[in-house]
Amino acid sequence: MKIRILRQQEPDSQAYWEAFDYDGTTDISVAGLLDHLNYNDDIINDAGRKTTRIGWDCSCMQGMCGACAMVINETPALACETFLYNLKTREITIRPLRKFPVIHDLIVDRTLIQENLKITDVYIGKYNPKENEDHRHQYEAAKCLKCGLCLEVCPNYTNGESFYGAMYANDCYLVYARNKEKSADMKNTYSAHFGNSCSKSLSCVDICPMNIPSLASMAKLYRK
Amino acid sequence: MKEVLIIGSGISGLTCAVRCAGLGMHATLISPVSSERAQSVMAAGGINAVTAECEEGDSVACHIEDTLKGGGMIAGRNAVTGLCGHAEEIIHFLEGTGTVFTVDDNGRPVVRAFGGQSHKRTHYCGSSTGKQIVSALIMEARRFEGEGLIDRKLRMYFHSALIKDGECYGAILYDEKSRSLLPVFADAVVIASGGQNALFGKTTGTTLCDGYAAGKLFLQGAELKNLEFIQYHPTTLETAQKRMLISEAVRGEGGRLFYEDNGKRIYFMEDIYGPKGNLMTRDVVSREIDRIGKDVFLDISFLDKKLIDKKIPEVRDLCMKYRGIDISKEPIPVSPSVHFFMGGLAVHLNHETNIRNLYAAGECASMYHGANRLGGNSLLAAIYSGNTAADDISGRVKENGHPDFSRTLKEEQDSLNGLLSSKSSFSVMHIRDMLSDTMRKNMSIVRSGITLKEGMDDIDYYLSVADQIHFDSSESIYTNYSLPAILTLARAAVTCALSRHESRGSHYRSDYPETKDDLAYATLISYDNGAYTTRPDKEKIYEN
Ligand SMILES: Cc1cc2nc3c(=O)[nH]c(=O)nc-3n(C[C@H](O)[C@H](O)[C@H](O)COP(=O)(O)OP(=O)(O)OC[C@H]3O[C@@H](n4cnc5c(N)ncnc54)[C@H](O)[C@@H]3O)c2cc1C
Ligand code: SF4
Repeated sequence: MKIRILRQQEPDSQAYWEAFDYDGTTDISVAGLLDHLNYNDDIINDAGRKTTRIGWDCSCMQGMCGACAMVINETPALACETFLYNLKTREITIRPLRKFPVIHDLIVDRTLIQENLKITDVYIGKYNPKENEDHRHQYEAAKCLKCGLCLEVCPNYTNGESFYGAMYANDCYLVYARNKEKSADMKNTYSAHFGNSCSKSLSCVDICPMNIPSLASMAKLYRK
Repeated sequence: MKEVLIIGSGISGLTCAVRCAGLGMHATLISPVSSERAQSVMAAGGINAVTAECEEGDSVACHIEDTLKGGGMIAGRNAVTGLCGHAEEIIHFLEGTGTVFTVDDNGRPVVRAFGGQSHKRTHYCGSSTGKQIVSALIMEARRFEGEGLIDRKLRMYFHSALIKDGECYGAILYDEKSRSLLPVFADAVVIASGGQNALFGKTTGTTLCDGYAAGKLFLQGAELKNLEFIQYHPTTLETAQKRMLISEAVRGEGGRLFYEDNGKRIYFMEDIYGPKGNLMTRDVVSREIDRIGKDVFLDISFLDKKLIDKKIPEVRDLCMKYRGIDISKEPIPVSPSVHFFMGGLAVHLNHETNIRNLYAAGECASMYHGANRLGGNSLLAAIYSGNTAADDISGRVKENGHPDFSRTLKEEQDSLNGLLSSKSSFSVMHIRDMLSDTMRKNMSIVRSGITLKEGMDDIDYYLSVADQIHFDSSESIYTNYSLPAILTLARAAVTCALSRHESRGSHYRSDYPETKDDLAYATLISYDNGAYTTRPDKEKIYEN
């Protein structure tokens, strides 16, 4: 099996493809595969040359932290949850998320996600719930990993300057539901940074590794 | 305004920052990656507290006794009393910040049973308690960020503390963006860097918790405590990429452990310890599984599928996703794995270390859990300790100025430059891998003087190699410079285990199987110029 990886040594350096041969089990996730390539003694590319280890972010290795989001066979996904036996191709391509600046190889800088939430005051403050709000929905919304997969697939999200993407809708919903004093503010900021520009492609809904009902969040914040 | 530098942004670091800001101080919260990636998000089962929601007959006194008993009676009573006495307030704080607890029809949090408890008192948020708490705390931190009272900085690593004459004035950080060392001066430094997982390679948690900060501070004069006590979680599932925790919630909901003998299921924990046997403390269950030496399974398939879907959906999904096991139909193959570190930086009741103005909170500090931690008590301790450190710092008189550290800085930068300019094909990760093999083998559930001495010899060899190796450019700079301190911490842990000539809690010595009343003390260890010295904390200088 060929593994082609889009690599980049430094934030400002040129990206390049490098390929590796792999003939191990397909009963392994892409995270397991990257670990295997990196730590099977020396790392050798498909031309037989020793190369540098592949940089990628990981932490929990079980789909709970969102660190390892990347683009696998042109589909954005968490590496630790994407199994080779499901990919069904003899060649696997792996590249970093495209909507964020690359730091090194598959590691990207996602600080803008936090920054946008900060500058628009998306915080609960004091728990003061709206009545009849769906507790289950809030639980799901609070599970957002800030992995950025929903931003990667979104046709409207470009660089996060004004349109903030589905994860933003979910955080706004959480605040809206948990503090009724902020619900009007949340509707406004949601409209300004999401609702007014969303073209409803809804690609964000299917891609979310936590299955967060983003559509339901949008419906709750939709301003009549 | 007082400036507090907090290293690590898991639940403990976040809580400390929020409390500092609430008290009118400025907190700088640094970590390599955002809080969403911290191990805290993995905490599944819950957080302990005696609240109005608990069963009749439960009380703070029961929580204290359970914690002390579970910890092999070597945790300080005063410390544990503080922890348990503030637990209800902590649940209210978390509710107040908007944490999505699992609630009953009246909107009140519900509780479940965890191992080693006399009463049900574990509050939880579905099967993702840690994640839900982190989400709420991030929002709180964001609120104070807006007010200019918290700065969250990413891609920064702890390098060393700025210490002179037993007093800490700040820390040197490694800034990944500029690839250089950065001195940060502060009125107090709080270490909240989590456990020591990387000593054992892949554990149930994340390898981002590597113990480096504890190891480095030990080299800089901070005392460590109880490093021999390492919790093996009895129920973990082997997968192709790591060992994954099967939450204690499964046993809390009635899950039964068994092995097969001639086609017959032997429910060994119930046979030995009676009907509540499956919920014995983690050390006891892990040791029984180790002793049996056969494949052990955890069965919950008898539970109504709807209840499985409602109460433990994450366990259901994890088993299906990573092993194709349907837990509503078949039992889960389980075995013990390293999970939690009771030992760490020694701290006083106020969470200050033996170095003035240097504090430690959360899993990197050793305080409440004695020889074995009860499930649900570490999230509580992470929050309580973050609060306690902040309160103490706030009560101090602000001191002005700091000594001149320019020479220290230059020396550290030169030494890092020296490392960077050297080249070697020898991989830092190979040594880390060898270390984890040694630790898994020699610091396992059952130890002996012989295996521990073997482990010590191995680590001494790695330490001698670590001094020789050059920069491994295909690893991060942090991974390179952190190696010697990680090895030092491992050596300190083995030294502590060798010094305890008894078995207690999670520390079991085949050559000293008895618990000895005259050894009911915490172990302290200090470092001076290559010498590792242990002593029992007979005066309870830290715990009272
Ligand atoms: C799978 C699992 C399930 C668990 N379930 C429960 C449970 O149900 N109940 C319970 O009470 N406990 C549970 N625990 C334990 C509990 O989660 C931890 O003890 C607790 O979350 C520790 O919090 P912390 O803030 O101390 O550390 P962490 O959350 O580990 O955070 C450490 C922080 O320090 C940073 N850091 C590390 N090294 C450095 C460095 N060199 N420089 C700068 N920053 C650094 C990290 O990036 C991170 O931000 C569980 C643990 C695991 C692994
Ligand atoms: S909404 Fe889903 S896809 Fe988007 S950042 Fe959150 S977890 Fe990731």
